[in-house]
Amino acid sequence: MRPARGHDGISVMATRTIGSGQVGRSVPRLEGAAKVTGRADYVHNLRLPKMLIGKIFRSTVAHGRIKSIDVSAAKALPGVYRVVTIDDIKAVIPHPFYGPAFHDQPILADGKVHYVGEPVAVVLATDPHIAEEAASLIEADYDELPAVFDEIEAMTSKAVVHDELKPAGTFPDLKHLKGKKDTNIALDFHLRRGDTKKAFAEAEHVFEHTFRSQQVLHVPLEPFVSVAELTETGLTIHTASQSPSFVRIEIARLLGWPENKVRVKVPYLGGGFGAKLYIKLEALVAALALLVQRPVKISLTMEEQFYTLTKHAATFRIKSAVKNGKVTGRDCEVWWNGGAYADIGPRITQKSGFTAPGPYDIENVSIDSYSLYTNLTPAGALRGFGIPQLVWAYESHTDMMARSLKLDPVDFRRNNILRDGRAQATGTAMKDAAIEAVLDRLALRMNMKAPFDRGTGTLKKGRGIAVGFKASISPTTSIAIVNIAADGSVTLYCSTVDMGQGSDTANAQFVAEILNVPAESVKVVHPDTDVTPYDMATLGSRSLYHMGNAVRLAAEDAKAKLAALAREVGVPEGSNVPVAELFQKKYKMQAGNIIGTGSYIPNYVPPDANGLTPDATPFWMVGGTGVEVEVDTETGHVKVTKMINVADVGRPVNPRIVETQLSGAATMQFGFTMQEKIEFDGGQITNASFADYKIPSIVDIPRTMQNEAVESEQGTGPFGAKGVGESGTFGVSPAIANAIEDACGVRLTELPLTAEKIYRALRTAQGKPLED
Amino acid sequence: MTPFELAEPKSLKEAVGLLDADDPTIRPIAGGTALMLMMKAGVFRPSKLVSLGGIKELRSIAIANGELKVGATTPLAVLEHSDEVRNHAPVITRTLRTLSNIRVRNVATVGGALAHADPHMDLPPVLIALGARVVVQGKKGERTIPIADLFAGYYETVLAKDELIASLIVPAQNGRRAAYLKCTTRAVHDWPALGVAVSLATEGNGIKDVSIVVSAATETPRRLAGAEKAAQGASDEAGWRRAGEAAAEEAELITDAQGSAAYKKQLVRVHVARALRAALGAE
Ligand SMILES: Cc1cc2nc3c(=O)[nH]c(=O)nc-3n(C[C@H](O)[C@H](O)[C@H](O)COP(=O)(O)OP(=O)(O)OC[C@H]3O[C@@H](n4cnc5c(N)ncnc54)[C@H](O)[C@@H]3O)c2cc1C
Repeated sequence: MRPARGHDGISVMATRTIGSGQVGRSVPRLEGAAKVTGRADYVHNLRLPKMLIGKIFRSTVAHGRIKSIDVSAAKALPGVYRVVTIDDIKAVIPHPFYGPAFHDQPILADGKVHYVGEPVAVVLATDPHIAEEAASLIEADYDELPAVFDEIEAMTSKAVVHDELKPAGTFPDLKHLKGKKDTNIALDFHLRRGDTKKAFAEAEHVFEHTFRSQQVLHVPLEPFVSVAELTETGLTIHTASQSPSFVRIEIARLLGWPENKVRVKVPYLGGGFGAKLYIKLEALVAALALLVQRPVKISLTMEEQFYTLTKHAATFRIKSAVKNGKVTGRDCEVWWNGGAYADIGPRITQKSGFTAPGPYDIENVSIDSYSLYTNLTPAGALRGFGIPQLVWAYESHTDMMARSLKLDPVDFRRNNILRDGRAQATGTAMKDAAIEAVLDRLALRMNMKAPFDRGTGTLKKGRGIAVGFKASISPTTSIAIVNIAADGSVTLYCSTVDMGQGSDTANAQFVAEILNVPAESVKVVHPDTDVTPYDMATLGSRSLYHMGNAVRLAAEDAKAKLAALAREVGVPEGSNVPVAELFQKKYKMQAGNIIGTGSYIPNYVPPDANGLTPDATPFWMVGGTGVEVEVDTETGHVKVTKMINVADVGRPVNPRIVETQLSGAATMQFGFTMQEKIEFDGGQITNASFADYKIPSIVDIPRTMQNEAVESEQGTGPFGAKGVGESGTFGVSPAIANAIEDACGVRLTELPLTAEKIYRALRTAQGKPLED
Repeated sequence: MTPFELAEPKSLKEAVGLLDADDPTIRPIAGGTALMLMMKAGVFRPSKLVSLGGIKELRSIAIANGELKVGATTPLAVLEHSDEVRNHAPVITRTLRTLSNIRVRNVATVGGALAHADPHMDLPPVLIALGARVVVQGKKGERTIPIADLFAGYYETVLAKDELIASLIVPAQNGRRAAYLKCTTRAVHDWPALGVAVSLATEGNGIKDVSIVVSAATETPRRLAGAEKAAQGASDEAGWRRAGEAAAEEAELITDAQGSAAYKKQLVRVHVARALRAALGAE
């Protein structure tokens, strides 16, 4: 048996409640009991009268023109209601293309297929087994086209994924998108600050390394699922989505309807991690429901998730100039493998791209970041939004430089760290970013200055750290409504999706703090676009900050109205007359409401031609990880024996949730670091199942994992708070690679860090490389 | 999945009678943990499944004449918790704890774990090392097959389509020691990239009579005669390593998603030596 897990917890924060004691308290998750007793609502459980089930027939080629689709055998199968291709879809949606950055993705393949697994046709039946059987009877014939899979090759490839590029123009930060015709470049972002040429010319040392991250999967335990039904007033979509407001607007656009005819309802999600954003199955079920005038449900299998969205693979070439222990110049080139449809890849390319030089104070920087189309499953947001791919490179690079310069890795970092007030690569001055505090706490808790047992015989030990940062996306809007009923009970309406991160609980805490009621008594209404107001989406750790600010404003508005009511009914200021009595006094019975509203959008200045802006982001997230590892030098097996995650989350709103967000994020990135990889063979995924795609289980993750939030305050955040969902991912991969080199002297530059790769590197280092 | 017929016989004879030597779409189903996955993936589309779940005579564990006899539909979890099994061959108990997970072990059966013939499975190499055999029931009667001869290839046994495994027999071990090392490369809980089972008797400090079996990295679980010879008399680290070296030379290894053949060669080298060391330290 393994010993009990170490949980040092975040005792530092547990005492930091304020005012009425609701913020800063580890309120148990409001939905916890419903979830563990199986009462929570999920779209998977939804069944509607006369509902049809759709099963998708998918492309078997990576790139090709569709010559014919033979659906006759599928149609002939008893029990099949209808077989649908894009020609049918066009009868209800003439221009069936969607996407947040480009309108490049068709509801079903239109003339061409762009990746293996792309939806080509759908079978509808009341019995899912019949639908599935019928889908397997469909045959498509393709004229295969040359395909491109690698992001570097995509830069110059003759194989071009899309004949035409169609910018969406939806989001203000992506208005400039054009794409480059006859290339695979969806977006190229360039930043120039200072004079890197001069810095390299004057450097004492120049280091250049290239790193690669692989495609991995989100693996929510609830796969994608959506249901559409026609109602007398329009269309209702029940969907496991992180972005109900976007779904409503995009479906309304596709149908040419006003927004208020489309209703999007989201109950709980069984995990999202960035996969369930924008449009996934929603446009398809909407079109199908309109076509057959019956409710339609599509729920994907675990395997089908591999054909829906992945994390970006990326190659990052990083080059640094060093003088007197200072990094004086840095060149970054990043190529993002976006797959067949852009999804939100262009935003990753730019928003994450501008942090590519890392949390260091570097005078001269140049960044070239490319969002590339390839003939693979589309890539999109995944917990960290590109940042883990970047930190993997720059923090491995940092250690490699320190090692080569014989400098202590902590001192070298501290010597170059980006402090508040100093300009980041974009020129935006850092504010409320506790980068140095994270580094210091990490070094202290890892005991980096103390001697270390390096192991004996074939078992070698090592340790490593890494620190990364992220800018919140901007500008985005959140709106909230707080409703006080006549008995004083409080309801919050907002479109933030609780997908397991605890947003309902945190938002209830904000309301409770301001209105001085227990957080447990606040009801949070789940996203329903007929009822809850607009929110950009639940993504990028933005909600606690943006929605939190909107909720705070709404609650303050309600509080002000409550005070006005008190004045109106003649109750003196500061008296403790119960709220219910105020309503009684005014309405002479239990009646009425007070409605408070709040709307929040931060300031933002778009980058200029050099990629520079004085206001790149409303807040910075900072996260660092330290690990100790044991390497079996006979097999290359690595065991991470200890992991410490430290982050700047501003003021922790709910310390227990902060801790589980940090450990959860770190565990997820641990899987991406050590074991997970989507394997492709000529564009075909060869491990699209959980028998062969191994996510970490409880026995894989570090035996000791400790999480800490540093003392910090986000000035513009609600009660000093900021997002925490991703910060635990940042440092994990490079910290482990750094520790492996520390243990056994080999350096890996490609994820994942498998035992075989390590063993091969050890053999190569001994001058006895292992044959292929 | 498409509809199929499900038969639920009450006796072994009746079950065998429902099978057809010439019809691959009729198959026995025991725990269903392997078969149902194949059906869900569409690689097996049955016309009829013959469930062995209702055959009471096949669910048993007993010691007779110093031999351990286990009925084919005994769930792996029952085997795992059986005192008879632990006393007779503790290596089986230890192996079962690392075999998949509790949920699978609760329903998967001994017969299924042998008939499925996926070379990555854990029990076959162990049982080969222990010299075990199966009793097989066919339409014309019974026959006995050493487990070392049961596997014909990747997912293939020598069983006819109308034969059933009735029971497993593990002979008396007479103080022999055994160990099984499961080496995974993608996650701790995974199918092994390599399984190494050894069983040995000792004389003085040295190894006397040893069987060394590798699995998972090879097409079927295999005994390695050359390595066994090299291990004969070995009594120290250098000795185990010589055996590991011989095993690495001898085993025919496959490149797959869990590793290249070249890497697995190193894994064999290391794990055969470690398994011998572990067996000598074991009960
Ligand atoms: C998630 C998961 C993880 C796993 N991990 C491991 C692991 O780590 N190590 C490991 O060794 N195994 C592992 N397995 C495999 C597991 O051991 C097998 O699925 C199980 O042993 C099969 O037994 P069953 O009774 O469920 O067989 P079934 O699925 O019912 O049948 C399997 C095959 O055997 C045939 N069959 C069954 N009984 C008989 C009989 N009496 N006579 C003749 N033919 C018969 C069936 O026709 C079928 O072809 C794993 C399985 C799963 C689902």
